[in-house]
Amino acid sequence: MSRRTRLVSVLAAAAAVTAGCGTATPQPGAAASPAPPPSLATSLVTPTGTWAVAETGGSAASHNNFWQLFARPAGTTKWRLVTPPGVASNGGLVIATPGAGTVVAGFRPSQNLAYSPLATTYNNGAAWSPSLLDARLANVPAALAAAQGSGRLLALLANGTAELSSPGGTHWAPLATMRSLARSAAGRRCGLKSLSVAAFSPSGVPLLAGTCSHRRTAGVFALTGGVWRLAGPPFPAAMPGQPSRVLGLTVAGNRETALLAAGTGRDTTLLAAWSAGGGRWASSSPLPLGGSEVASVSIGPGGAVGAVLNGRAGVISGPGSAWQWLPFLPAGTQTLALGPRAQVDALAAAGATFTAWAWPPGSAGWAKTQTLHVPVQYGSSG
Amino acid sequence: MPGMNSGINVNAPAVVAAFKSALLHQAIIALLIFAVLGLAWITVRAWLPAAARTAEQAGPGGPPAAAVAEPAARQLLRVGFGLLWLFDGILQAQPKMAIGLPSQVIEPLAAASPKWVQHVVNWAGTTWSYHPMQAGASAVWIQIGIGVWLLAAAHGPLSRLAGLASVAWGLVVWVFGEAFGSIFAPGLTWLFGAPGAVLIYCFAGALIALPERAWHTARLGRLVLAGLGLFLAGMAVLQAWPGRGFWQGASRGTPGTLAGMTQTMAQTPQPHALSALLNAFTGFDEAHGFAVNLFAVAALAVTGGIFLTGRRRLIRPAVIAFTVLCLADWVLIEDLGFLGGLGTDPNSMLPFALLAFGGYLALTPAPSVADEPASATESASLEAAARGWQARFRPGYLRQSMATANFRSVAAVGAVGLIILGAAPMAAAQANPNADPILAQAIAGSTAQLNFPAKGFALTDQHGRTVTLASLRGKVVLLTFLDPVCTSDCPLIAQEFRAAGQLLGAASRGVELVAIVANPVYHQTADTQAFDRQEHLTQVPNWLYLTGTVPQLQQVWKEYGIAALILPAGSMIGHGDVAYVIDQNGHVRGELNTAPGPGTTATKSSFAVLLADAARQYLRPA
Repeated sequence: MSRRTRLVSVLAAAAAVTAGCGTATPQPGAAASPAPPPSLATSLVTPTGTWAVAETGGSAASHNNFWQLFARPAGTTKWRLVTPPGVASNGGLVIATPGAGTVVAGFRPSQNLAYSPLATTYNNGAAWSPSLLDARLANVPAALAAAQGSGRLLALLANGTAELSSPGGTHWAPLATMRSLARSAAGRRCGLKSLSVAAFSPSGVPLLAGTCSHRRTAGVFALTGGVWRLAGPPFPAAMPGQPSRVLGLTVAGNRETALLAAGTGRDTTLLAAWSAGGGRWASSSPLPLGGSEVASVSIGPGGAVGAVLNGRAGVISGPGSAWQWLPFLPAGTQTLALGPRAQVDALAAAGATFTAWAWPPGSAGWAKTQTLHVPVQYGSSG
Repeated sequence: MPGMNSGINVNAPAVVAAFKSALLHQAIIALLIFAVLGLAWITVRAWLPAAARTAEQAGPGGPPAAAVAEPAARQLLRVGFGLLWLFDGILQAQPKMAIGLPSQVIEPLAAASPKWVQHVVNWAGTTWSYHPMQAGASAVWIQIGIGVWLLAAAHGPLSRLAGLASVAWGLVVWVFGEAFGSIFAPGLTWLFGAPGAVLIYCFAGALIALPERAWHTARLGRLVLAGLGLFLAGMAVLQAWPGRGFWQGASRGTPGTLAGMTQTMAQTPQPHALSALLNAFTGFDEAHGFAVNLFAVAALAVTGGIFLTGRRRLIRPAVIAFTVLCLADWVLIEDLGFLGGLGTDPNSMLPFALLAFGGYLALTPAPSVADEPASATESASLEAAARGWQARFRPGYLRQSMATANFRSVAAVGAVGLIILGAAPMAAAQANPNADPILAQAIAGSTAQLNFPAKGFALTDQHGRTVTLASLRGKVVLLTFLDPVCTSDCPLIAQEFRAAGQLLGAASRGVELVAIVANPVYHQTADTQAFDRQEHLTQVPNWLYLTGTVPQLQQVWKEYGIAALILPAGSMIGHGDVAYVIDQNGHVRGELNTAPGPGTTATKSSFAVLLADAARQYLRPA
């Protein structure tokens, strides 16, 4: 082989290797992409108990994954499987609560189904009332919200549309689209890129939240007087610039709790924020993630917030407190359940086994509290 | 049954028998092709003894060996890949292949690839599924044909065309059958077979298709080895790339990428000795994952580097070592490629070893034939070429060619016949947009002729109106049971019904397409309306989707033998996929199992044909 041929070969090899592996290399300075939305695994707390969504089973590609809903009634220590019956959960499961003991579950459609069955329980999952959203729920844990008192539901759809239901969830009407919101004055100020959260304010005002590309703008929008206005928390000066994504936004009683991620890659930080009665927001100090991605988000009582990262988790117990790193999570942890008195449970699922681990505050490790067999029907969605 | 993973079985006796029968019939035709060609050859040689003598003087196998001795490298590639195609063709004749290839080979391979790859591959899978007998048989004969063609044609345009045929069919298999060799899927590694075995067949085919003068210098060999070296160096980098799970033998009790793969392979059905070997290697890799990957990276990098140097002295031991590495990978990681599951080829390691050896042999230039006298066949061919291509089809030229042809040429022409034998029925079947009804018959089983009064019912349609079976008297009723929130079969069955109505044309006025809700939880008219909108059934005038209270539905399910079971833990309702044919007098006349096949939409139109035929059978002229 001539020297020239060899040189060309080596250069071509270098080019091929660079091309082959370059896709995984971060591009500094390129248009920043925000933190991806967290998985559907999550938990919420109602006065009657704690609820958690986790994925069980096997491969999603062969429709052998089954999303489950677990409940731990208030005052008890054991989780129960309460997945609503009658519909396949391979596409995902999202939950919302209008308060009290009511929980609404929405099934994301999979395979040949194009709409989202819903189910509502008033008795901690002992019985479910079916209903239907004739559209495809978005693949985000906060795709469904329920208004306290009125019984109205707000759904964020896969196509970026938000639909609002009549009381009881019988009739649905479009409320906004991603495009219309982005074109609004508030949307332009934010540089809205996507929607990822549906919620209601304590007074029942529909809220939508998503990703802003503009500096130091939190993409929380409230529909007041027929106009969408920015209603998010301000960013502390210590936070990195753009973009920012709202990862979670829930309302309990009179308090709104939000979790935001700002920046990209290794510069991503988390920020928790709280607002009482629609008033001023109070923010936590930023939590640098060091390049880890947020796998799941949980919001608990008293404004407690938890985020599962790659094998680790950070929690903050409410306004005025500081972020705290938990001990390394048990293998397979999908989400946290934040209970009263700062108790944290790590919820893991693998195959047909659901495992709960407890972390007594201040202790150095996790203690297994329960193992639950989930009767997964492998092959039933084939 | 939705929720119970039913549908057509890859071992469905009706389909297996039909596939075997198709292969047998085509094998008889293949023998006839060879017999006719052989007779024609002998006869023409008897008529033209002078020409035959000239050919015989050229030697028993054709022209003088010294004049056109095939370069050893080309011969190795031609014979090696010819045998591989032949073997692949035989593997395609496995009884399960006709039904199993799309769902058990093609679609799982594409599952990890991007959506656009899945789309391309699923299109091919569906095309296959619509005519599985023709597609299965065509793959058998095309691959055997290419194999025989490569083995038989050692020289000249016919031999080079065999190389081109190998490239063409290889690309089809690589794109549609191997999902682009999974190069767009995560976890790409040479150890598992990247970039797809058939792509190497294509490369070898392209080399065979080169003009024979290309083999008369060492340049071709250097280029082949440099290309292979470049590829192996790239694969070494990929193998060394962190975060892909190859450096860890096991982590927290979970096997790493390589151990996980071999563990899975060991669980497939195969001789015990082989699975024991795989299990031993899995254990070794779990314990020494870092060292195993370091060895793989070093071996690929060093081999690639040596191939790039082009130095014959270094390349010889490198080729030998590379062959040993390929064989070890073939046994310990690829599990011989075709054992377990539905193997279609022996995977990539034998082709890689052949290619490397071919490249090495090509470093020794073949002797030039420029000064050798042309054989009789070649002379005729050259003369014809000088007169233009039309001359090749004149009877005189054909007779002369036949008389001077050797046995190998006749076999090569027969191989082309084999390819046509495979491709023609598939091409003809493609013209029919409906799937082969044998699929539906295989699922439905033998449908006994029934004749008993259908049980009456009074339910509510999607518009809120009450519908009774008696109110449908005078029409043929095609009745089925569908879950409005079913994710798998029911939407397909609804489409079968819709298509059946379209196939019936004007006659569909005498037919009512009726579905009854098969879900005790989601059974409101809002549910049936949403289903109708989803399936574009709102504009089908004779479509009724009936529901009622749970006790009403349970009564109907009981009377029609339907079990709508609430399955736990996020599963859909389990119910039977069945359709009843009820005649104009309200008598049940047929019962069809409507479960679509696994992973395919083929049975959709297949059942539409069956349903439409069943309705026509009981339609009385007005």
